[in-house]
Amino acid sequence: MRFMVITKWEFKNTLSSKKFLTIFFLQVSVLILMIIFFNSFMGSIEPGKNVALTPSLSGFASMDVVDNENLFRGQLNPDILKIERLNYSTAFNRFNNNKSTGLLLVPSDAFEKIDRQETLNLTLLINYNDPKRSVIKSEVETTSQALSSIITNQWIKEISSENITQPSVEQKEQGEPLPLQIISKVMTAILLFLPLFLFGNMVIDSIVGEKERKTAEILVAMPISHTNIILGKSLAVILTIAVQVFLWMVILLGAGFDIRNAFLVYIVVILTSIPIIGITSIIAAYSKNYKEAGIGISFVYIGVVGYLVVPALAYLSGSVRAASISPMTLVMRLFSGESINTTELLIPIIIIVIVSLLSYIITIQLFKRDDVVFGPRPGIIHLIFEFTGIISLIRFLKGKFV
Amino acid sequence: MKILSLAKKEAFDILNNRIYLLVVFVQIFIVLGAFGLAVVSSIATDPDLMDQFQVNSEFKVGLSDEFKNSSLTSYLKDENLNLIYFDSSQEAAAKVGSEIIAAVDLTTARENISVQIDTTSVFYPVVSQKINLALNNYNKAVKLQKSGLNETEIKKVENPIQISEVKVNENDKADVALDNPYFVEIMYGFIVPFILLLPFFLASNIVTDSIVGERERKTFEVLLMTPLTSFMVVLGKIIPILSFSLIQSVAWIILLNFLRVPIYNSLLLFILLFFIGLGFIGIGVILSMLVDSTKEANSAITLVLVFATFILFVPLFVTIPYLDVILNIIPTVLIVKIASSPYINPELLLEFIPTILLSLIIFSVAVKYFKHERTIRL
Repeated sequence: MRFMVITKWEFKNTLSSKKFLTIFFLQVSVLILMIIFFNSFMGSIEPGKNVALTPSLSGFASMDVVDNENLFRGQLNPDILKIERLNYSTAFNRFNNNKSTGLLLVPSDAFEKIDRQETLNLTLLINYNDPKRSVIKSEVETTSQALSSIITNQWIKEISSENITQPSVEQKEQGEPLPLQIISKVMTAILLFLPLFLFGNMVIDSIVGEKERKTAEILVAMPISHTNIILGKSLAVILTIAVQVFLWMVILLGAGFDIRNAFLVYIVVILTSIPIIGITSIIAAYSKNYKEAGIGISFVYIGVVGYLVVPALAYLSGSVRAASISPMTLVMRLFSGESINTTELLIPIIIIVIVSLLSYIITIQLFKRDDVVFGPRPGIIHLIFEFTGIISLIRFLKGKFV
Repeated sequence: MKILSLAKKEAFDILNNRIYLLVVFVQIFIVLGAFGLAVVSSIATDPDLMDQFQVNSEFKVGLSDEFKNSSLTSYLKDENLNLIYFDSSQEAAAKVGSEIIAAVDLTTARENISVQIDTTSVFYPVVSQKINLALNNYNKAVKLQKSGLNETEIKKVENPIQISEVKVNENDKADVALDNPYFVEIMYGFIVPFILLLPFFLASNIVTDSIVGERERKTFEVLLMTPLTSFMVVLGKIIPILSFSLIQSVAWIILLNFLRVPIYNSLLLFILLFFIGLGFIGIGVILSMLVDSTKEANSAITLVLVFATFILFVPLFVTIPYLDVILNIIPTVLIVKIASSPYINPELLLEFIPTILLSLIIFSVAVKYFKHERTIRL
């Protein structure tokens, strides 16, 4: 338990650092901003409407409509189209001068034609030089289909003497739409896992900092084993993460996020932090300086985020069995209140244990080596060969045959 | 000339930084990955494109055996849905979400159609659209059949609106990888600004590394003692970083054009990116003055970039009518407008002013802080 001395020391140092506290509270303010954005986004979703993850740029594509009787103009989607209602000559001039991508010409006697049951002939001019042409075309077609359906029904009613009934359509939807799940579940899961990636710098500072400040020599000369040093330093970071995740969960619950099995969710998130800190420690133990370590963790974290998020997305899109490998899937299922069987629970836990053991063993082995800590540092491939025993095998074979 | 010497030295340092070069290289994969994701998601939400790519075997819709030869089935088949027959409608409904995406049932009196659909499926939007279209056509046919209209009347009633499309500039049409509204919206509305700003996110990191690194290596004081003004030192530091970032952005514009995502008004974009870059790098310089070590600089810049991401990209996904005036001057919104339009309204240039002013203010503050730091150090 000697590593607890290091943990206590590091943890106390962290909490007493004013700069750390500033960053800590800035992170909380980022979380609050994200919650505000999330809540406003969810609030803007109209029930029963399809949810699509597309940018909502008002006036993205511009179209002029010559529609005296306002048959079409009011029906077109104003969220994506910048629609101008103009007279023919102004609209035509604007279109010719490339001020609009599309020009829709609706007959001036549209309502009379509908009343006379005459086909409405519209003209849609589209500038094919503009890549947004498909947006214009799609919006006009969608509006036209909706209006056609209304007019057809009206005409049939007028023509036919009989009272015609058509089959009624009843649609039952099961499950939450995928984009909504991505927004609600994945966003919540990402917010819960985010603190795990915010403390990589602490590990780097704790290990690489010793090398840069030239205090590593003193540290390894102390009557404490290399194992205890690494475990002690890592535990201090895990404790800080635990405090941060706890605070974030309190804020999320306070903001009205539906997190069921909160305690279990908390435990799984903290357990996931152990291998992540372990992997970060490997990079820190091997890196020469902050810069190298910073770039190293950026790349490794991309992989780690991929491992967490991709199976979670796969799970949402089709209950893929392999999706259970990610602790994020487990957390998502836990806070959604789904039932989880023992196998599904054990798979990510076993992976966490294996990766944790491996990462800490590798870190300790690296930290024990003077050439890695003080230089000249061996290459990564050389180290891999050494750890996997390939170098010993080569030496053995050389001794035998040469 | 003195600035140039410093700029040359900085440029040499950056080009010798293998990690920086690696990160630049990684951006190519980010650009290609984002483009690929946009293509895949566009295909997945467009029924016509799905038909073109012949992935309709995944559009599994269940029906009871009794409707095998019904007219409803033929309308569903017309939409290229993969119809799977079950012994009963109940059995089909029970398989929704596992074996099939939707089940369609028609009551024996042919009066009610019920559709049960799994919204969690990735193919839900396409399958839902196809089923709705098939049912609309079926309903229309039933209605017309019952109305006793003759063939000519039916033809007229079926299509009350005819649209004649006039393709202007067809010979000179924009060559887009996918002529699909979702692709165009996601590409220009999010991915293009994201890709073009990537190098500047990296630039603010490099500038902090350059300045804080000098302090850590104890070469900062030596630099301050050179016969260069603070403005010249800051300029000498940022010229290569800004130039490399702009070169990268230009390279991504070329790559996007190669991928058939035409980027328009490159010169205007370049000017806008120059000022955005100046702002980003200016923030990096200010942060470098406030922190003591690379570790602190990394933490601080990460947080600032999170805020910047929030301010720059959230406006692309929200519609707040009463904030339109402010949202329209956000640099990413300007990038969308400029990059996607072959012809732009000259009034749009007025919307550049806030970005230019803000960048110049940030840069001035950076120089002022640098002078202050110089006074303290020397």
